[in-house]
Amino acid sequence: MRRRRVDPAAGARAGALPEAIAALSRSLPSGPRPEIFRRAKFDRPEATSALWQLLFRVLSPLPAGNALASIALEVQARLVKSALCSQGYPRLALAQLPEDGSQGSRELLLALSWLLARGPVPEQMLAQTRVPLGDEMTVCQCEALASLVPPAPHMEAEGPVDVRHVQWLMGKLRFRWRQLVSSQQEQCALLSKIHLYTRGCHSDQNLGHLSVTEAEMLRDPEGGQKVSGAGAAQNLDLAYPKGLHFCTPGMGPRTFWNDLWLVPRLLPGDWAAPLDPGGASACSLLSPLRVLLRTLERESRRLEAVLAWRRAEPVFWQWMDTVLGTCAPEAPAAASQPTFLPWVPECGDGELELVVRELQTLEEELREAVERRRVAWEAKARGCGRGPEWSAARRASRETVEKELGALQRCWEQESGPAPAHGPHRLVRREDGAAGDRDLRAAELIRTLRSQEACLEAVLRQLQGQCRQELARLAGALPGLIWILPPGR
Amino acid sequence: MSIVTVQLGQCGNQIGFEVFDALLSDSHSSQGLCCKRENEAYQASCKERFFSEEENGVPIARAVLVDMEPKVINQTLSKAAQSGRWKYGQHACFCQKQGSGNNWAYGYSVHGPRHEESIMNLIRKEVEKCDSVSGFFIIMSMAGGTGSGIGAFVTQNLQDQYSNSLKMNQIIWPYGTGEVIVQNYNSILTLSHLYRSSDALLVHENDAVHKICAKLMNIKQISFSDINQVLAHQLGSVFQPTYSAESSFHYRRNPLGDLMEHLVPHPEFKMLSIRNVPHMSENSLAYSTFTWAGLLKHLRQMLISNAKMEEGIDWHVRPPLSGPPSLSKMSLNKDLHFNTSIANLVILRGKDVQSADVGKKFRAYIHQYTKFGIEEEDFLDSFTSLEQVVASYCNL
Repeated sequence: MRRRRVDPAAGARAGALPEAIAALSRSLPSGPRPEIFRRAKFDRPEATSALWQLLFRVLSPLPAGNALASIALEVQARLVKSALCSQGYPRLALAQLPEDGSQGSRELLLALSWLLARGPVPEQMLAQTRVPLGDEMTVCQCEALASLVPPAPHMEAEGPVDVRHVQWLMGKLRFRWRQLVSSQQEQCALLSKIHLYTRGCHSDQNLGHLSVTEAEMLRDPEGGQKVSGAGAAQNLDLAYPKGLHFCTPGMGPRTFWNDLWLVPRLLPGDWAAPLDPGGASACSLLSPLRVLLRTLERESRRLEAVLAWRRAEPVFWQWMDTVLGTCAPEAPAAASQPTFLPWVPECGDGELELVVRELQTLEEELREAVERRRVAWEAKARGCGRGPEWSAARRASRETVEKELGALQRCWEQESGPAPAHGPHRLVRREDGAAGDRDLRAAELIRTLRSQEACLEAVLRQLQGQCRQELARLAGALPGLIWILPPGR
Repeated sequence: MSIVTVQLGQCGNQIGFEVFDALLSDSHSSQGLCCKRENEAYQASCKERFFSEEENGVPIARAVLVDMEPKVINQTLSKAAQSGRWKYGQHACFCQKQGSGNNWAYGYSVHGPRHEESIMNLIRKEVEKCDSVSGFFIIMSMAGGTGSGIGAFVTQNLQDQYSNSLKMNQIIWPYGTGEVIVQNYNSILTLSHLYRSSDALLVHENDAVHKICAKLMNIKQISFSDINQVLAHQLGSVFQPTYSAESSFHYRRNPLGDLMEHLVPHPEFKMLSIRNVPHMSENSLAYSTFTWAGLLKHLRQMLISNAKMEEGIDWHVRPPLSGPPSLSKMSLNKDLHFNTSIANLVILRGKDVQSADVGKKFRAYIHQYTKFGIEEEDFLDSFTSLEQVVASYCNL
């Protein structure tokens, strides 16, 4: 385990440790009670399931929701194990723990502290659930890639699959996709109108106009007005959030309205604010403004907890040292030295030397092999003759290769050009075209996306051409067979 | 979300007028069926879908009118303005001075490209007026010259320019004993081209609607406007706002999307038809009572026994055990079903067409088409694609 340089004076205050642990549990979502941590140090079984759930919540890429809560403990444990393994967690004992939550709380505690040491976990959790006040959209593809749910059990196809059924489903999918595109276009048009009409309304000069949330709060803070039909043209009739509610394209990190209504209903325990004695049953009667205020208050409380945790952190690490001390010593090669983290300077020099030497020998071997191959090829090529057609052919093939390579390089350069930052960005409409350093311009993004699209289309056309050639070859192989292409593209 | 209507040719323009009229008068009908607030919501939703607001409060239909002769368009515009309750946009129409003589090739290869830009500009202006476009609804006939040829061309252009929008083409199947000689050729070409570029083809048969008018509505002298009103009634009931399945507080916002997702997801089966009950004239409504269950039962039997109207339903026919996947949507008034009877229609008419193939008739009028760039290969292509469609439906 990595050892942090701790300040011995920090732990001198009595009660500093419980405070630190309390701050930690407040700063994490569904953080367990501080008592759990203490029990885990002594490897008590009752602390295990809470820690499994906490680890699952920290490691899963999905946002909080009802879906997560209903996953069984065994499944959660399995997912936690695989996630930790893929991140390079060195302790083998964790992988061998039973998944029913009966033992192993100390190992789980060690895993948690490993995660905390690697990266800013509370801050990352906060970023996942923050309250978006502006109209946001994400530019990178990370969200889409990360939303991989646990795979469904593999279903064997029973009997021959009906092609028509598959075509039917594909057609449905295509229609849904087109509907999605037109919904998104509608959302863009309405957003643009809202931003245009609320120019000059915002107190923050940099933003200049209201976002949908802000405008809706102003228009209808009590949530009493029902919406009739679709929005009219000229006025700010914001049927948009409610009207689009069941067909939202979901432009932000989460569907904000969903979260607003789900949050009071879903989260138990320390999240339910002391301000809410009535509990979930009363929340549907709350006005949107009050719900928003409550959510913001909760977020502030978590921010404060994170700050307190950062201040008290050294105490926690001192304590974790003691926890590590109480563990039975593991096989030294696996547990003691984190050879997976090459950037850690304190790890064993001896190991690293060995690895470096191995890499060097490998490099030598490869170089020799390349040399041998090159010599053999040249000998063969020399035998082919150096007639004019040979050099012409060589020139032609070199040109094609260069062209392809150039195209590929251009594609990649354009794609990885000014790499936009991850995470959601707030949409701001500006007339004067002034933008800060870290702001992204829509025009540039559009250009990047278009070039990426062109690249992908070129690849698609190439693959389609290959398919066509293959089909033609197959068709030619069977004489007397007439191929009729299906209608449409 | 709004639907932009494109009315093409004489047929399309007349029907389009009736549709808008029916929609607006339905949404404003004060029959006291529901409370005021619901009524307002319904009205607002219907209006947003099909009309745009103007300064003096008169709704303007979201439509583009296209015809090669000015007569029908002028009639339509004036009829709408006369009603006082709604009108067409002043600049939303496009017409020329000459007709196209029922020649599909002329419409597709000459008129289409020549006027492509102006027509697409008009459409674009309508689209820009909407906050969001659910899709396009194109009304045309299948066998005329203007409507069908230009319709096929315009649909193709829409497919290119607005590839993400949904398109539903409403086509009128001509009378069996047609009034136009080359209507079979026109029909084939139209169908095959539309099948490629449109998402759904909603077919109405003149014969069937005529029978409805005659038998059930007791109209003695059936004019085109009666037929069109029945059509408009059916269409309107499909397009009026409906509640979503989950909650009855909101109207579903994407009518075309919902319809298409449930009815035409498979790329080979794009044809739809409408059945509705009850059919009666306004006068007899006061003397009849209905139950919802009874209406549904009639409708189901109509569907199974392939009947187009309520009278003379064959109650002995039972549905086959493994029917095609169908979904019934609860609209406020009527139901819409996907069915195999349209397949029978296609097969029957396909046979008609094949008989036209054999013999001299085929060569007889072909020169009208080759004059304008539609070659024999195009006909053959159309034949093959339609054969495929017929085969797919046969295999259902």
